[in-house]
Order: sequence, then C-alpha cells, then structure tokens
Amino acid sequence: MLVIKNLKASINNREILKGLNLKINPGEVHAIMGPNGSGKSTLANVLSGKNGYKISGEVKYLGENLNDIPVEERAQKGIFLAFQYPLEIPGVNTNNFLKTSLNTIKKANGEKEIDTIAFLKMVKEKAKELGIDEKILSRQLNVGFSGGEKKKNEILQMKILDPNLIILDETDSGLDIDALKIISDGVNSSRSEKKSFLVITHYQRLLEYIKPDHVHVLSDGKIIKSGTSELALELEKKGYKKLN
Amino acid sequence: MNENFKISPSEINKIKPLNQKDKNFRLENLKLFNQQGFPSRNQEDWKFSDINQIFSKNFKNLESFKNESKPKSINFIKEFDHNNILIVNGKLENSEFKFEDKNKIKIKSFNDSNFSINNQENSLINLNNALSNNGLFLEVADNYRFEKAIIIYNVFTDDLKDNLLNNKNKIILGKNSELHIVEYNINQSKNKFIYNTTENVILNENASLKTINLQANQNEGFFYKFSKGKMGSNSNYSSFLFSSGPKFNKIDAEFDLEGENCDCNIKSALFINKDKHQEIKTKINHLVPNCKSYQKIKSVVDAEGKGVYQGKIYVKDIAQKTNAYQLSKALLLSENSEFNSKPELEIYADDVKCSHGSTSGSVDENSIHYLMTRGLSKKQAVQLLVSGFLNEIIGDIKSNSVRKFIENKIEVQLHGY
Ligand SMILES: Nc1ncnc2c1ncn2[C@@H]1O[C@H](COP(=O)(O)OP(=O)(O)OP(=O)(O)O)[C@@H](O)[C@H]1O
Ligand SMILES: [Mg+2]
Repeated sequence: MLVIKNLKASINNREILKGLNLKINPGEVHAIMGPNGSGKSTLANVLSGKNGYKISGEVKYLGENLNDIPVEERAQKGIFLAFQYPLEIPGVNTNNFLKTSLNTIKKANGEKEIDTIAFLKMVKEKAKELGIDEKILSRQLNVGFSGGEKKKNEILQMKILDPNLIILDETDSGLDIDALKIISDGVNSSRSEKKSFLVITHYQRLLEYIKPDHVHVLSDGKIIKSGTSELALELEKKGYKKLN
Repeated sequence: MNENFKISPSEINKIKPLNQKDKNFRLENLKLFNQQGFPSRNQEDWKFSDINQIFSKNFKNLESFKNESKPKSINFIKEFDHNNILIVNGKLENSEFKFEDKNKIKIKSFNDSNFSINNQENSLINLNNALSNNGLFLEVADNYRFEKAIIIYNVFTDDLKDNLLNNKNKIILGKNSELHIVEYNINQSKNKFIYNTTENVILNENASLKTINLQANQNEGFFYKFSKGKMGSNSNYSSFLFSSGPKFNKIDAEFDLEGENCDCNIKSALFINKDKHQEIKTKINHLVPNCKSYQKIKSVVDAEGKGVYQGKIYVKDIAQKTNAYQLSKALLLSENSEFNSKPELEIYADDVKCSHGSTSGSVDENSIHYLMTRGLSKKQAVQLLVSGFLNEIIGDIKSNSVRKFIENKIEVQLHGY
C-alpha cells in the first residue's frame, strides 16, 4: 500500500525528516509514537502532499510514485489525513462542504455523484454512529466546534469519503473516554483487507482499542525502533529517553 | 479627452423645460466644474480613486446626453414577488405597484434643482447639478408599510458609448413607513460610459428603509453615486452593497443621524474582478445622542483588481451614548490585488462606544490545504473560502428568497473569476 524509502523533508532550511523508511501492507494498522517535535505531523503533511517542503527520497502509494502528485489527486486516489488540528473554515456550511468533497472525489473516480437527499440520509446515519450531534453539521465547518467535535468530524469525513490509506494524527488527543471508544469503534469497523491505517498517537490507551500490527518510534526525523504492540507498552513504562 | 476636460455652457440649453433660476443655478455649477475638472488624487476624498486619470485613460470624448433608446429584453426577477420600477439610462420608464395601496405612493421623474445637493468641493456633484436631466422621485406616505419589496430595474442600453449621464434621485419615507428596495443594475452596453448620480434619502420619524444594491453582470460602465441621507428619530436604515461588476464604481454615502435612537447599517460584500475598481466611501455623522451605526465591508480582490474603503465616523460633542462600529476586511487573491482602507474616527463626545478596524490579507494556505486534502482542487478550495468569507454578509439578509437570489448571483461572479 505504502512504501517510504529514505524520506527526507525540510522546511525553512530546517531538516525535519531525516531519512525515514516505512512499509505498510494492505489491511495493516501501523502506529507511530514519538516525542513532541520529532516529525510525526510533518510526515502526515508530507504524505498528504502539503506544499512548502523540500523533499527527497521515495514515497510509493499502490505502486505509484507520489512525489509529483498534487494534494487533491492524492485525496481522490484514497489517501486521507485526519488532522491533529482541524481547521476552522468560516462561512462554509459543514454539510455542503462534505457533499462537495464526496462528489468531487466520486467524479474524479468516474463514479456517479450523490444527490442531496441520499447524501443527507447517509450523513445522518454516520453522524449518529459517531455520536455527533446532527445540528453541528448545519453550522460553519469546525467553527466553534469543541475539540472533541472537531476530531469526530474528521472521522465522519473519513467514513463518508471511504479512503484506502488513512492517517490519523493524534485523533485521540482531547477526546473523553466515551468518545475515544466511539471513535475507535468507528475506525475498527472500517478496517478491512483493503484499507491501511497509520495511527499517530502519544497514548498506549488508544492502541488498546485500535490494535496495531506494528508500532514504530519516530525520533528526530527517523524511525529508531519498530516492534509489535508490546513496544507501546514498554514506551508507556519507560518513556522515550531509555530507547537511545 | 485632455487634462482639463470642459463642458460648454450650451449643453445646458439642451435641457428642457428650464426656468431662468434653474438655468442660472446650472450655469453656476458648470462653472465650478469647469474650474476644477474631474476630481483627482490631489483631493483627500479621491486619493485612492483618481478619476480624472481614470477617465482620461478611458475616454477620448464624452457626450453629455443620450437620446431615447430601448433596452433589449430584460430578465426580470422571478424568484420572489415584488413591485417594480423600470429606469432606462436614468429615465423613469414605468412603475407597477401590484401589491400596494397606490394612494400611499408618489412617484415621478425628477430633475428638480431645488433638491440639489450643494458641495463646492466635489466637482462631480457640481457636474450633476449642472447637467442632470433625469431621475426618480419616490415618496411613501406616513404610516404606510410596503407589503412587498420594490425592485428598481436600472437598465443601461447597449447603444451607450462614451456618454456621460447625470441623474438625481430622491426617496422620502413618511413617519412610521417601511420600504425595501432592491436596486438591480442591468448593463447591456459592451462599451464605456459614465453614470453620475446624486441621491437624497430622507427617513422621517420611525421610518424604516432597507436597500440592496446589486449588479446583474460584469460590465464596462463607470459609476459614481453620491448619496446623502437624513435620519429622523427612531428611524432605521439598512443597506447591503453588492455593487462590484462595473469597470469602475464608487459609492459615496453620507448620513446625518439627526433624531435620537436611529440606527444606520451599511454592509457590503464585494468580489472585485480583474481590472475592476470599486470604492465604498462613507461618512456617518452622529449629531444627536443615543444613535447606532454599524458598517461591515468585506471585499475580495482578484488579480489587478482594486478595492477601496474610506469610512469616517463623526460624533458631535452632544452625541453622547453613540454606538458606532466599523470594520473592513479584505481578501487579496493575488500579489497584484490592491486594497486600500482608511477608517477614521472623529469624536467630540466622551460617553461613546466606537470601534473600527481593518484587515487585509491573502487566503490562508493551511485552509486551502485542508480543503484540498478532501479532494477539492485549489480553485475550488479558494472559491469555497471566498464564498465563505462573503457569506457572513449575505447571511444577514433576512428574507430567504432574496438571500438565495443574491447568493446565486455572487456564486456566478465567483465562478467567473
Ligand atoms: N514551517 C516550519 N518551519 C520551521 N520549523 C517547523 C515548521 N513546521 C514544523 N517545524 C518544526 O518541525 C518539528 C517537527 O514538527 P511536527 O509538527 O512534525 O512534530 P510532531 O512530532 O507532530 O510533534 P507533536 O507531538 O507535538 O505534535 C518541530 O520542531 C517543529 O517546530
Ligand atoms: Mg503533531
């Protein structure tokens, strides 16, 4: 699904990713943990195609080199990033945005667009599953949403767009225990042989709900250790310092 | 057209009927205009919109009048019920008040110099006083509240070219009356012309006037409108300006808040396209205590477009408990977009609440990225952010059908960019 070889990324003349290697097979869930500022969100941004980074190395998604593929095409090809800090977009109605997004992706893939009634019905169901108050969907996108509502809204988008490679950047941070459970259920019910997850988190707790196949430690722009979910437990006990 | 554009006094003889007093008034104003020429950036009020230069660049010659001509078919608005007034090249052609008690409405063609605005410093007003030959007079009787809005179809015919049209309007609302007006400008001309209007708006005690100014299409017209309003106690004025579209458009509004507890609102959402120039200039004079004024101007400027907002709030010493608010926000879509803003407060009372501010910046890159990660192209993302930015103003229109209509009009403008 995703193969990253010797990925380096710098911004404003500062190297942040310093030769990162990672391979994710279809159906796998990988977790990335690591200290603040180690480059986790940078990796997520680079995978999403964000502008402004100087990049070297190789990133292949479903066998295709991603380097020259613009942001929206990556999304259309099934890469999804749930943001650590979802942006507030004033004046843009959440439902309208979700529909535009879904239909743009459908169109790009040669699928039939969904009409408003069918769309609203689908959103309603999915919002309910995630314990999202329907009312917030007729508000401006993320504007005035609570921290948890913003995160749930990201997962709602994931559910609606039905992508293949899903990157969750600290989706668990700021969630209460019930919300954490709901969101994990949301993720788990999306797991399939065709989908892969890259879960960025600081907390072993999330990984009790979303069981990862592999856990990696990212430190100073490199993956310095990889293992099974045992590694997450070990980190929780010992912290990152002891690793080096 | 050279630097010192002058108009011959013989032009005034073309206006009929004209009594001697009127004629003298016009000659006097023409003299003032000929002394000054069109306003230029040397004057503070015109420093961001040097129309002397703009006109010289765009007009080789100018003909002061236009003979009768008929518009091509007009797309009348069907989205909501309304009364209508049809004005062609400034001339009142007809009016229809299907939903109203006609005894309560006075309407006529208007070019009465008794109602002229005197402003020695503004040569466009002098020019208007000298040459105006058309216009609209509309008066609503005391206690009469309109059932439906009036749409003023302000149509410009396709044979306009290098013309200079001068017009005067006057709108009077009697005590406790209420009126909603949509001024809908339809410009069928592909050519350049100048339309110079002065307007008097009088709101008597407890009257309420809501206006929406909307351009139907992108066009090559050069528009200037000076609007002078007087507000009596407890009166309410609210104006929405969606006036971008013409090659040049300056709306110059000055309101005197003369009676206590009146409320003056000016809101604007503009999308200024390539090579277009739009200015909104306001002066709100708080002359008595306990009045409120509110202005919010949002402008989006595309490449090589230019937007200007000059807003002044004046609070007289006796105008205690004034509450005045003024904000201009501009979104620049390109490095070649220009927006100038000059908010000003001149306050002589001490117990007042006044605030003003202005910001301008480009579209937030992180927001664009966020939307693009959801599959939208850059263009789609920017369009969504821009319409979101303007929606804050459009969303304030209370009538659903009118708001939807305006939303669609603005949406079309955005997709054209
Ligand atoms: N535009 C930028 N210019 C300069 N430095 C940047 C820029 N963006 C990020 N950085 C730096 O890169 C480093 C990695 O940032 P990143 O957001 O990827 O960390 P992270 O691992 O996600 O941290 P956290 O756990 O706190 O979310 C940080 O030191 C950050 O300050
Ligand atoms: Mg981060």
